[in-house]
Amino acid sequence: MTHTLHRSGTVESLSIDYPILVIAAQGINSKNSAPQFRKALEILLKHNPVNIGDMKTGNYFRKGLKPVLLSTKENSIIHSVFTNRKDLEECLKELRDAQLGPSVVVSGMLAEVWDSLKKIGLKPHSLNISLGVWGKTSLLPEQSILDITTMCGHHCVSPLLVKKMVSDIKRDKISIEEAARELAKPCVCGVFNPLRAEQLLEDLIRK
Amino acid sequence: MIITDSCVGCTRCIPYCPSGAIAIGKDKKAHIDRYKCIECAVCFNIANCPVNAIVLEKLEWPRTVREVFATVYKEHKETNVPGRGTEEMKTNDVTGRFRLGEIGFSIDMGRPGVGLDLKDAEKLTMALAKLGVEFEPLNPLTFLMSDKKTGKLRDDVLGERIHSCIPEFKIKEDKFPEVFEALQKVSKEINTVFSLGLCVKVNPDGSVPIFKYLDQHKIFYRPNGKTNVGIGKPAAKF
Repeated sequence: MTHTLHRSGTVESLSIDYPILVIAAQGINSKNSAPQFRKALEILLKHNPVNIGDMKTGNYFRKGLKPVLLSTKENSIIHSVFTNRKDLEECLKELRDAQLGPSVVVSGMLAEVWDSLKKIGLKPHSLNISLGVWGKTSLLPEQSILDITTMCGHHCVSPLLVKKMVSDIKRDKISIEEAARELAKPCVCGVFNPLRAEQLLEDLIRK
Repeated sequence: MIITDSCVGCTRCIPYCPSGAIAIGKDKKAHIDRYKCIECAVCFNIANCPVNAIVLEKLEWPRTVREVFATVYKEHKETNVPGRGTEEMKTNDVTGRFRLGEIGFSIDMGRPGVGLDLKDAEKLTMALAKLGVEFEPLNPLTFLMSDKKTGKLRDDVLGERIHSCIPEFKIKEDKFPEVFEALQKVSKEINTVFSLGLCVKVNPDGSVPIFKYLDQHKIFYRPNGKTNVGIGKPAAKF
């Protein structure tokens, strides 16, 4: 479950991409944690997320807000994506002060995330780093497609769908915003960043 | 997954398949390549087939393995955790699973988006087992091993193709070069890709010893990553 670790892209593009994950340790603090997850979702929602979801229920773009909010379980893993550090910092402050119990993990540019943690008086506890893609890399789609598809770490967003969206935008069948929302639907967890996808789609259209 | 005869050949489902397993046949209807299909149900759940021609098939062992490694929201019976790995460092502030001086490995096989035959997972786990690596007992792939000491998988699953799996283990820091070298070697022998992740506890002074090693040896790592911010309760003692 390292699914927000291997997001690829330029430093500039990744600087508008901060997924937060809230998870309980099964057998330690998971019992009766469903209401805590709901409280966490309520906090996340207050800070302008561009996506939100629960691995057990689905994401906002497919399920809508209410089912995600009302269906939390003891083994929920909830997610939200922020596009700037101010919202990230305010959200983390509120999560810290709420003392909910489950662990909180932030993905993003490490230097920026750690600087934000310092600003609000938190310290990085543990770290997950990516040493990139190994093996038969000739099987991979082009990098500009991967920068979009790796925003769903479970790789439920198909490279073919990205190409279809680019083609549909070029033929005025769909807007860039609609295309980004369509791409967000297969990402069950809600970690796909539609705002970043819009920017990456624009780059692809210009090619 | 099955596409029934009611398919009208509109091609809507084709781009949604993460494995590229759907194509139009000579009969002008969509068909699913049984080998390529990893039973993720994205076509069923997201593509909005206008005639509901896509149906979920009742799967039998060993094909059920595909579904459990592809369907995100289904938790594994043994761990109660949905997904393909474990909690790894995400709950380390509560579990204390990774201590100072230890390095956790999470090897996302088949990612990004390539998929893999389980026989390639076995190549990797057997290569690592030779180094005495102990695989994470709660990881779903470990449950498919017939011999955890050798990393051998059950023979009856070796013909299956899955979306991804994540061999997980931890080692002492001084063993890192040996494991790194083994991964470099096996990466040339597999017909897929893997995304390599390392999990570490951050030192109280904020330093991360593995960075020094990676920098000294010019080993690539991404500037982005995941940080456990240490607010889980009850806090593990370190």
